[in-house]
Amino acid sequence: MRFRDYIRDRLWFYAIAALSFGLMLLFLSAYRVSGQLVTFIAVIFILFLISEELVGFFRKRHFYTDLMGKLELLDKKYLIHEMVQKPGFLEGELTYDVLCQAHKAMCEEVSKYQRSSADFREFIEMWVHEVKLPVASLQLMAHNHSDRLGEKFLEQLRRIDGYTDQVLYYARSESAEKDYIIKENSLKRTVSNVALKNREDIQLAGASIETEGLDVSVMTDGKWLEFILGQFIANSLKYTVEGRDIVMRISAEELSDRVLLHFRDNGIGIPERDISRVFDKSFTGENGRSYAKSTGMGLYIVKSLCERLGHTISVTSEQGSYTEFTIAFSKNDFYKM
Amino acid sequence: MSKIFIVEDDRSIREELAELLRNSGYEAEYLTDFTDSKAKILAAKPDLILMDINIPDLNGEQLLKEIRKETDTPVIMVTSRTSETDEVLSMSYGADDYITKPYNPTILLLRISAVLKRAAGASTSVQTYNGLQVNDAKGCLTDGSRELILTKNEMIIFRFMLDRQGNIVTRDELMTALWDNDEFVNDNALTVNISRLRSKLADLGCEDAIETRKKQGYILR
Repeated sequence: MRFRDYIRDRLWFYAIAALSFGLMLLFLSAYRVSGQLVTFIAVIFILFLISEELVGFFRKRHFYTDLMGKLELLDKKYLIHEMVQKPGFLEGELTYDVLCQAHKAMCEEVSKYQRSSADFREFIEMWVHEVKLPVASLQLMAHNHSDRLGEKFLEQLRRIDGYTDQVLYYARSESAEKDYIIKENSLKRTVSNVALKNREDIQLAGASIETEGLDVSVMTDGKWLEFILGQFIANSLKYTVEGRDIVMRISAEELSDRVLLHFRDNGIGIPERDISRVFDKSFTGENGRSYAKSTGMGLYIVKSLCERLGHTISVTSEQGSYTEFTIAFSKNDFYKM
Repeated sequence: MSKIFIVEDDRSIREELAELLRNSGYEAEYLTDFTDSKAKILAAKPDLILMDINIPDLNGEQLLKEIRKETDTPVIMVTSRTSETDEVLSMSYGADDYITKPYNPTILLLRISAVLKRAAGASTSVQTYNGLQVNDAKGCLTDGSRELILTKNEMIIFRFMLDRQGNIVTRDELMTALWDNDEFVNDNALTVNISRLRSKLADLGCEDAIETRKKQGYILR
């Protein structure tokens, strides 16, 4: 708040003051008051004017400078009223009250949305569990009556299950609640669970899995990691080179401070200009458009889950020859009780 | 014949499950009404309990705790909630295994037989087949004088068939057993493994030990 701006803001006041001053002089001269007295009165009037303006300016300047300065520094600008002291002049007080009330109203509005989105997520989570029941039932039926419902039927069921899992984990990855447990998980066991779950699809595609160095444990949520690996496998089976046998290599290497899990396939790879964006929400690169219908969500969910679990994920690829994802698990003894 | 007790509120699932278990040579019973379930379950004296976590008016984990106070009968928890929390809790309350729905029936049967075997104290690593001793630790068969080394895959296949001697074993089941042991073999490899196992058994005098049933699977005689 600059003095010049303050003065400009007060022009109407000076206009009135000048008018009253003029009227006063007119009045005084009409009554033939001596020049000395007029000067005296004028000086008092001007002094009053200047001191009143200075005091007013400094009182306000202190509050507004503080307000603007702190607003500049805050990244959550809606918390500004928490940062400044309640001012000691009327306009400031009004402004301050308005800020407080606006903030309170916004909080209520935000929490309304938070509640509704939490409710929605809860419903999705519940719905996914519900929908798994008929899927489980159908799977058993298909097994019990395999003469009538064959492998093709089961393949479609697995697709349904895969899509519902994706919904579930998307909801989980966006959720603010901590609905995971980080504990020691054997990579061997996790990989073998995922492989078993996807065995039929892997064999139908004529793909093979090679593993190396998985005799190591990492701190993670096992179920989440299974979902992540499942997404990798689904992608490898989707983006394949015609006439080339699919080979998925899952290996782990233990470093001093972290464990790296590599998932590499020999598929079509990712074009260089797309690679930095494969984890972006709804991103479907050239592959997603020309090869298989891609939602662009799978890897986005994978990345969000990794971030929530505190793992870093990266990808390298060469078009036409391979894609390799690497997840880094930190070795933190903090978790080990 | 082991008796398996199903605690599951979804009618369709429990009926199909019972059918699956009966087809696989188990006795199966289930609850249709969940009042006083603990007493009913215990009265049935099952060899294994398959229990859903989310049963109406009843918390599966709580029920498991109650049952554990009375008996050591193996319990496998089954749930459609894919969450580590449930698994950790179930295991801490004394479940022997934990499976999420939808389950691949073959994997479910594999887990059931593994749990039953553990419960029966099948720690005896020496089993016999036609006078041959099966030594798991050394991964070999012996008739007292000669010793025959089996590869890891052949051993997994042979053990699996031996546990179900006289019954049909499908390729799907053998595949699942192999993959469950981190041997990610394909169709051709399985065929090769079985024919090698056949000739190895023949070397020890068990001709035609493994019979092929077209479109069904194999039987260990």
